[in-house]
Order: sequence, then C-alpha cells, then structure tokens
Amino acid sequence: MSAQLPANLSEETVREISDARDEPEWLLEARLEALEALDTLELPDVIQTPGRRWTNLEALDFESLVDPLNQSDETTREAPDDVVVLPFTEALDEYGDLIEERFGSVLDLETNYLTALSAALFTTGTFIYVPEDVNAEDVKIRAEMNSRSLFSHTLVVTEKSSSVTILEGTESGDADVEGERYFSNLVEIDAGENSYVQYGSLQNLDEDTYTYSLKRGDAGTYSTINWIEGNLGSRLTRSDIETELNGDASETKIVGAFFGHNDQHLDVNARVWHKAENTTADLVTRGVLDDHARSVYEGVQDVGRDAWSTNSYQRENTLMLSDESEADASPKLIINNHDTEASHAATVGQVDKEDLFYMVSRSIPEETARNMLVEGFFVPVLEEIEVDEFREDLEELIAARLD
Amino acid sequence: MATLEIKNLHARVAEEDGEQILRGVDLEVKSGEIHALMGPNGSGKSTTSKIIAGHPAYEVTDGEILLHLEEGDFGDLEIPDDARTWNLLELEPNERAALGIFLGFQYPAEIEGVTMTNFLRTALNAKLDEREELLFGEDEEEEEEDVGYDTSPMEGNVDDGEVGVAEFQKLLKEKMDLLDMDEKFMQRYLNAGFSGGEKKQNEVLQAAILEPSIAVLDEIDSGLDIDRLQDVSKGINALRDEQGTGILQITHYQRILEYVEPDYVHIMLDGKVVKSGDASLASELEDKGYDWVREEVYEAA
Repeated sequence: MSAQLPANLSEETVREISDARDEPEWLLEARLEALEALDTLELPDVIQTPGRRWTNLEALDFESLVDPLNQSDETTREAPDDVVVLPFTEALDEYGDLIEERFGSVLDLETNYLTALSAALFTTGTFIYVPEDVNAEDVKIRAEMNSRSLFSHTLVVTEKSSSVTILEGTESGDADVEGERYFSNLVEIDAGENSYVQYGSLQNLDEDTYTYSLKRGDAGTYSTINWIEGNLGSRLTRSDIETELNGDASETKIVGAFFGHNDQHLDVNARVWHKAENTTADLVTRGVLDDHARSVYEGVQDVGRDAWSTNSYQRENTLMLSDESEADASPKLIINNHDTEASHAATVGQVDKEDLFYMVSRSIPEETARNMLVEGFFVPVLEEIEVDEFREDLEELIAARLD
Repeated sequence: MATLEIKNLHARVAEEDGEQILRGVDLEVKSGEIHALMGPNGSGKSTTSKIIAGHPAYEVTDGEILLHLEEGDFGDLEIPDDARTWNLLELEPNERAALGIFLGFQYPAEIEGVTMTNFLRTALNAKLDEREELLFGEDEEEEEEDVGYDTSPMEGNVDDGEVGVAEFQKLLKEKMDLLDMDEKFMQRYLNAGFSGGEKKQNEVLQAAILEPSIAVLDEIDSGLDIDRLQDVSKGINALRDEQGTGILQITHYQRILEYVEPDYVHIMLDGKVVKSGDASLASELEDKGYDWVREEVYEAA
C-alpha cells in the first residue's frame, strides 16, 4: 500500500525548492522523477510477527508532518583543509559534474516512498569529497532541525587510497514548533579503491519527531566502510544502514547503539550484501530499552553466488530495563556461496541478576550498579568510534538518560 | 572488634514451595579469627554465605544475623553507641558491605565493559559514603550532584568520591603487588576472560581494597593450581594479619587449610552446623570422612 500524496505536494512545490536554490536542470529533473514515482512506490517493509506489525509507518500523517517550503536547519561543518566538506547546494557550483554522476548511484532514490519523498524535497545535506591519498580525520557535521519537516541528503565520495572519519550529529534546535515533526536523512557513500570511511551518526532529536533514515554504501576493491549509528532521540525512528561489498577484499562494519525510553519506538536495520571475493562484514548492534520503549531490529547478511571466501558476522543484543518495554529481533543469513564463514545471533534480556548482586555485594548501590552495567553494555560500540567527540557525546547522552 | 553472629538461621529458596536449606545455623566469627566451614555438597555452606551477603534468591524463615561493632573497627571513625549492633537481615546487600561484610564468590561474575579500576574505585567510594550514612544518618551537606557529565566507562566518575583516581591507583598497585597480580589487570574488564585462578585472586584483591571486618570466602580454593593457591592464601593471611579481618572460609578440602591455618573448624550437615573444633578437626575429617560426622551426630541424637 502506498501512502497518500500530501495535498501540499506538487510539481510546483518541487520547482520552487529547486529554483530557490538555483539548482542545475539535472537535479530538478531527478527531483521531479522522484516526485512522480511517489504514486507507485510503497512504504518500506517492516517486521511483522503473527497478529502484529511492529512499525506502523502507514499511520503517519504526512499531510500534516510535511511542510516542504518551510524547511529550516542550522548546520555547522568542521573539516581539515585537504578534504571538501560543503553544504550540498553550494557544492553544486564546483563539483556539479561529479555530484550529477554519483547522486542516487549508491542509494536508489526510488527504493521506497520515503526515499523518493526525500529526494524530491531535500533542502539540506552535505557533500564530502576526499581526494586520492588524503587522510582526513574528524570531519564534524552538526545539524539542528528548526522546522516542521526537514529533508537531508548527504553524499560521500572517497578517491583511491584516501581515508576519512566523519561525525554527523542531528538534534532539534530552539525553534518553537508545536506538535509532531518529521526528519528524513539519506546518506550515500561511494568508497573508491583502497579507501577507508568511518561514518558516525548520532541522532538525538526531540521526542515529537518522527525520523526516517537510509544510509547506504558501495565499497570498492580493498575499501572499508564502517558505519556507527547512535539513536537516542525521536518518537519513532526507522533507520536502515546498508553496505554493498562490490569490490574484492572490501570490508564493512555496521555498529549500532540505541537507548529508548518513554514511549519511543526504534526500528533499526543493518544489511550487507557480499558480492565479491574475500569480503568481510561485521554487524554489531547494542540496544537498551526503558519504560514503554519498543525496538525492532532486522539484520541481513546476504552472501552472493560469486562471493567466494566470505567472512560475515552479526550480533544484536537488547537489554530491557523495564517490564513494559518490548523488543523484537530478526537476524537473517542468506548464503549462496558455500565458501563462507558466518555467524548470526540476537539476544533480548534483562540486566543479569547475578552480575547485579555481585556489584551490590561490593557496596555499590543497586541503581549505580545497574547504570554501570548499562554503560558497560555499550562499551563494544563506544570502542569502535574513532571521532573522540562523537564517543564523548554518546557517553554523555547515555549517562544523562540513566540519571 | 567486630563480631558476626548467626543465630538459629533457617532459610529456604525464595519461590513457591522453595526447598528448605538452612535448618538452624549457629555461628560466630570475630575480627582476626579464621574459621573454616566444611561440609558435603548440599549441606548449606554456600547458601549460608549468600544469605549473609543478602542474596535475593533466599528467604530467611527464622533466626537472625547480627553484626556487632566496636570502637576502632573503622579506624579513627567514631561509631555512635546506637549504631553498634546491626540486624543484617534488615539491610540491603550494599549496606551490609558498607558495614564490613564481604563475600568472596565461588563463581565471580564476568562483567564486560566495566574496568577493574572503575569498579573497585566506585565500590570503595560507595562503601565510605554508605557507611557514613548508616552511622550518622543522611549526609545533608552534599547535594545530589549531576554525575551525568564526568563519567566514563573506563575510569568512572572522575571527580566523584572521597578517594581520587591517583590515590586509588596507588592503593590498588600496593595491594596487587601483595597478591603478586600483574598491573595489566587494572585496565581489564572485571573478570572478563580471567582464568579461574585469576578470578579468585581478584576476589582476594577486592577484599584487600575494601578492608572488610568479616570476609566470607566461598570455595576460594576451588580450581586453583598450587602456585595460585599459595598466592591466594598469602592474600587471605594478610587480610587477617594486616587488616584484622575475620575470615569465614568455606571449603571442601583440607588442602588450603595447610596454608591458611584456621582457628576454628565447623562442619555443616543438612543445613546445620553439627560439629565445631580446632584445626585438628579438619585433619580428622580428612581421615574419617563425612560419614563419620554423620554417624556421630545422629547416633548422639
């Protein structure tokens, strides 16, 4: 079932967005194509268990959530000199040809209704270009959302033998917006031969905001794409992180952390396609749920017929701090080449009572002990983060939520 | 001098129709004494130790556990007259620990993501805080601080607590040297990937840091090779000799008693302490076995 096209959404709207930003013709065309596709596209698939559809995207009222012409954000970008980090629109002047070639090449803009909606309407986002042999650390992008709805598109291109570590933080600004909001974030990474990308994302939007995020990477020969995804904010988050291992000896890690409380709903997904020889994937997600929060996790490792000598691992662990929280996890492994070493596992559980007693028996009050166990639970994720500021932010948010 | 007094302790597994495990345990352990508690599997030794520490899996159905304190038990800290006898069964496990009860676990928990340093410093500071609160009531001067900020899973709350990072590192190093433990343990996660022997050494290390009045050590000797057994024994003797800790050592075997010589030996059978004596009782038991005790006890009855 496709969602209803909001009445305030028309070709005129899209042209107005594109004109206001003085965009090249090809981008307008791409937006209009995406708009047209909305008629036939479906919302993303969600996990269903008998009698239950865990994430109900159909229930979202896009009519009131989407206000395409009043999008507003305040985004700061810090980067070393030898790497290009520009607002998407500004980048078009100088890097128009490259962007035209790669925009939508990794992430199919018509993947589903929400990606097409995002492509048609995006007004913010970042273009990151890392030239050959450049090593860039600590690219930091911090976005504040200041409107009813905001659509963002980020494109990362790394040339041969380059490397970059990126932090993208998203939160709500001070702007006074009553009621529910919608944030859409598409990220595509085109990793060139022997390049390395760590893309860390920390979403801490206010709890009136619904978010949709699809991040997808195309890993070239000998390249590595490591994703780190932290979700603490929003009322409902649907997040998909995907890597296609297209180059021989390419690698990916998809590392996720979430911590839901109140009545937050977090639907997080990690997927990898092994399509070449000697590729490696490691999917690690750790989540904590308190109060009435719910989480849904789907992880997919797809080993293609030509993916000889594959290594692929997946682990997901959810820790429940309250009896009212709920979690569903579905790790999937599809193997079409026998030359594969793979594992996949998911657990859902509570704080271990014996662990807790051990700590309490050493004088540590129960609540402190529980908090230490929760913080410790996230350590495998924290240890993966290369941008120090990102790790510190995530630690702080976790500690603050435990208070 | 602190005294742990267990009187007529009855307990069962805390669930519906839970099995009755303890049927009237009487035992008294004072600071500076070493007691060995022996008995066959299922006699209630481990249960006794867990109940002393406050494990929630057991329900006490009768009897009591008292801790008597005297001036000097907490160094220079004055102990008010009305805070010298405590009914442990009314206290939370962390409060019991703060008053000087320590349980060395037979199977210590392995906790990923919490470093030894963070854990032990947090424990030591929590002990000092809680003890003061128990002895003197709520501490009104110190407002609840926002601890959300300076916390790190590696180091803990940097500014939090009486014992600072530097001071603590020094203390830790001292105690580790004593136990012949490698410094690399400090940055490792609590018991995670430790060998059986390393875990037991770590239990003794924790006791050395927390300086309990009474340490209950549940089969601290199981799974140790001879070298490790000697290290651990040295640590236990040091607890008694240097800190005046009273030791209640639960064991199946005579072996450790050669290195940690007990002042008293108690034998448990079917949920009761049925026989007590001096170190020679352990040797006698080694020779004659539990059947001898059983016969003696039940014939006498």
